[in-house]
Amino acid sequence: MPRPTRPKSSRATRNKSRVSRGGWGTLPRPLSFPKQSPRMIGRHRRSTIGMLAPATGLIALFVLVPMVLTIGLSFTQWSTQTGFETARFIGLANFADLLGPTSIGRDFRAAFFNTALYTVLSVALIVPLSVLLGLLVHQTFAPGGIVLRTVLFSTYMVPTIAVALVWSKLYSPTEGPINQMLGWVGIPPQTWLSSPNTALVSIVILNVWQQVGYFTVLAVAGLTQIPTTLYEAARVDGASPWLQFWKITLPLLRNTLLFSAVVAVINAVQVFEPVALITQGGPVNSTNVLTYHIRRVGIERAQGGLGSAMAVTLMLSLIVVIVLLFAVLRDRGDER
Amino acid sequence: MVVKLGYGWRLATVATLMMSSVSMAQAAEISFLTHWGPDTVKLLDAAIEKYEAANPGDTVTVRAVPFGDLLTTLRTSGGGAGGATIAGIYDAWLPDLVRDKLVSAAADDVAADTTANWPAGVVSAASVDGALYGIPNEIDVYALNYNKRLFEEAGIAAPPKTWDEFLAAAEKLTDKSKGEQGFGLINSWAAGVLHPFASLLVSNGGDLIVDGKPVLDSEAAKQTFELYEKLVASGYSDPAMATADANTTGPFLDNFVSGKTGMIIMANWWESALKAGMGDAFADVATAPIPVGPSGDTARSISYSWMTVVNAQASAEEQDAAWKFLSWLNGPDSGENGASAMGDILMSMGILPSRTSDVAAFGDRLASDPFLLGYTETLGDAKPFPVVLGGQEFSESLQQTLEAMQFGQLTAEQAQANAQADATEILARNAQ
Repeated sequence: MPRPTRPKSSRATRNKSRVSRGGWGTLPRPLSFPKQSPRMIGRHRRSTIGMLAPATGLIALFVLVPMVLTIGLSFTQWSTQTGFETARFIGLANFADLLGPTSIGRDFRAAFFNTALYTVLSVALIVPLSVLLGLLVHQTFAPGGIVLRTVLFSTYMVPTIAVALVWSKLYSPTEGPINQMLGWVGIPPQTWLSSPNTALVSIVILNVWQQVGYFTVLAVAGLTQIPTTLYEAARVDGASPWLQFWKITLPLLRNTLLFSAVVAVINAVQVFEPVALITQGGPVNSTNVLTYHIRRVGIERAQGGLGSAMAVTLMLSLIVVIVLLFAVLRDRGDER
Repeated sequence: MVVKLGYGWRLATVATLMMSSVSMAQAAEISFLTHWGPDTVKLLDAAIEKYEAANPGDTVTVRAVPFGDLLTTLRTSGGGAGGATIAGIYDAWLPDLVRDKLVSAAADDVAADTTANWPAGVVSAASVDGALYGIPNEIDVYALNYNKRLFEEAGIAAPPKTWDEFLAAAEKLTDKSKGEQGFGLINSWAAGVLHPFASLLVSNGGDLIVDGKPVLDSEAAKQTFELYEKLVASGYSDPAMATADANTTGPFLDNFVSGKTGMIIMANWWESALKAGMGDAFADVATAPIPVGPSGDTARSISYSWMTVVNAQASAEEQDAAWKFLSWLNGPDSGENGASAMGDILMSMGILPSRTSDVAAFGDRLASDPFLLGYTETLGDAKPFPVVLGGQEFSESLQQTLEAMQFGQLTAEQAQANAQADATEILARNAQ
C-alpha cells in the first residue's frame, strides 16, 4: 500500500502558515524591520568591519600573505638565505624542472607518488576502521565502551616523537619485538623500515595506529546523532543489523565521514615527523614524502624558488582532492 | 679641599662608569650549535665553565641537535638574530654557506694562527677563495672495521688487503641461516652511503670529482659499482640490515655491535658508539686500511674535516667574542699537557684532532690505540672529499643511486650512468 504523501507547499505558504500559528489573531502581523537611515547603515557596516578585522587581519597576515608570497616565489630563482629582493623571475622554469628528466624532477615525482600512496592507504584504513571501532565503542550490549574509547584516543595524545622512537624499535628487523612475535607463530622476519618495498607501508601502519582513536571519536559523535527510533522502526520491519548498517548508519554518517576523510587527507599529506625521525626519506627515497622533500630542497639546499614551486604544486593537488571529495560525496547525497 | 674631593669623586665615578661600559661592551652572550651527543656536550660545557671563569661577563650556551637536523637548523635560524653565534659544520657544506653569506671570514690574527698551526690541506678545506672561514677541529678518515672473533671462527688469518681477499673474506663470514652478513652496507644516510663507497673508489685509484667535474664514468668507478653489485647479488651484504636513522645509529650499527656483520667501512668517530654498544666485546673489533682495488696502487680512504664557524649576521661584538672563545678552545692552553680543550673533547670520542700541537700531545695515545691505528696508518694517503658548490645535493643524489643498486633496482652499469649524468647536471647548475 503506497504511503500517503504530503502535498508540497511553497516557501511563502509555509511561512504564512507558520506566522498564522504564531497566535497574532486572524490578521497576520507583517514582518517588518525599522527603516535604517544611511548613517545607521554606515555605522552598522563600520562596526561589522571593526569586529571582523582582528580575525580576518590575522588570517590575512599569517595565511594569505605567506600563501601569495609562496606562489610568487615559485616563479623565481631564489636562495632562502637571501632577501626577497634577490629573487630573479624565471617564469615557469621551476615547474618545468619538476616535470623534467633530471634528478630534480625524478625526486619530486617520487615524493609526490609516495605522498599520494601514503594518503590513499592512510585514509582507506583510518576511515573504515574508525567506523568499525566507533560502532564497537558506541554499542551498549557489552561493557567497556568508555574504557575502549579512552584507550583508543590516548594514542592520539602521545607526542609523535615518542611514537616514532618506539615504533622504530618495534620495527627493528633483528631485535624488534614485532618480528620476534611473528617468529613465535612461524612467520619469517619482515623487513619493515629496512626495505623500499615495505618502508612506506610501515609508516602508514604507525600513522593509522596513532590517528585512528581521534577519528573513532568523530565517528562516535556522528553515531550519537542518529535517532534510535530509526533503528527501532527498522527492527520492527525486520531489517537485519547488516541492512540497518548499510541503509541507516552509513547514509546518516555521510557528513561525519566526509569531514573525517577531508581531515585524514590533510593530515596524511602533511606527514613529516615519522619520516624525519625514523627513515630520513629512505631507503631509496621510498619514504621521501613531499613535506620532507620540500624541507630538503627549500631549506637544506636553500633552493627557495624550487621549494616554493613544489609547495604550490602540493597545495593545488590538495585543493583538487578536497574539492573532488566534496563533489563526489555531496552528489551521492543529493541522488538519495 | 671639599671641591677637590668632589671633583675627585666625580672623576672616579665617571672613570668607573666608563670602565664598566667598556667591560659591558666586551662581555657577550654567544651560543654554540653542535650535533654532539650528551656526553660530549658535558665535556664542552666543562671547557666553557673554565673559559667563563677566566673571562667574566662572557657566557657561552650550547645547543645540541641530531646530525640530521644540523644543517637545517643552521639554515633556518643560523642567519637570524636568534641563530647560534658558533656552529660546528662539515667541510662539504662550507661553499654553500659562504655563498649564502651565513658564515663570516676569520679575522686576520685568527687566520694567521690557524695557518701556522694546522696542516695546509685542512686549512684549505676550511677556506673558500683563499679566505679562512672556520677553525678546523676534527679530521675523519675511513678504515675497514672487522670482528676478530668472527674472523677466527671463519678461519680468516688476516684482514683483507685486496678486493679479491675482501670478497673471499665476505663469503666466509656470510651465514644466512644465522642472519650474518660478511660486509655491512649503510643506507638512509647520505654520508654513510657515500663515504664507504668513495673510500673503496679512491682505494681503486678513482675519484668522485676532479677540477669540479664528476668522473664517475671512469674504469675505477665502474669496478667499484660492480663490487657493490657483486656483494649484494652474492648475499655477502644484506641491504635490509643497513638502515641508519637521524642520529646516524640504527640497524647498521646494531648488526655490527651484535656480531651479525663481519666487516664494515666506517669513520674513526664511531669508536665511542661501538664502545657504548659493545662493552667488553669492543676488544673483538680491529681496524685495517681499505682493501686496494684492481686499479689501485695503495690503500686509500677519503677524508673530511669539521670546523667551527661564526654567524656572519651576529653583531660585531658577538663575532669578536666568538672568535676569541674559539681561539681559546682550539688553542694549546685550554687543555691538558699542551693539548687544546677541543683536542681533549675529540679524543674522548675517538676522533682524530687536526691541530699539529694536538697530534703531538696525543701522539703516544694515538700510536698505542689499536682501534685508531688503522685510521692513522691511512691518514697520509687519504684524499679529501671534494668540497664544491652543491656538494650536499650531489651527495644525496649519489646516495639514492647507490641505494637503488643495493636493492636491485639498478644494475651496476645503470647506476654508473645515472650517477655520472645526475652529478654533471647538479654540479653545473650549482656552479652557475
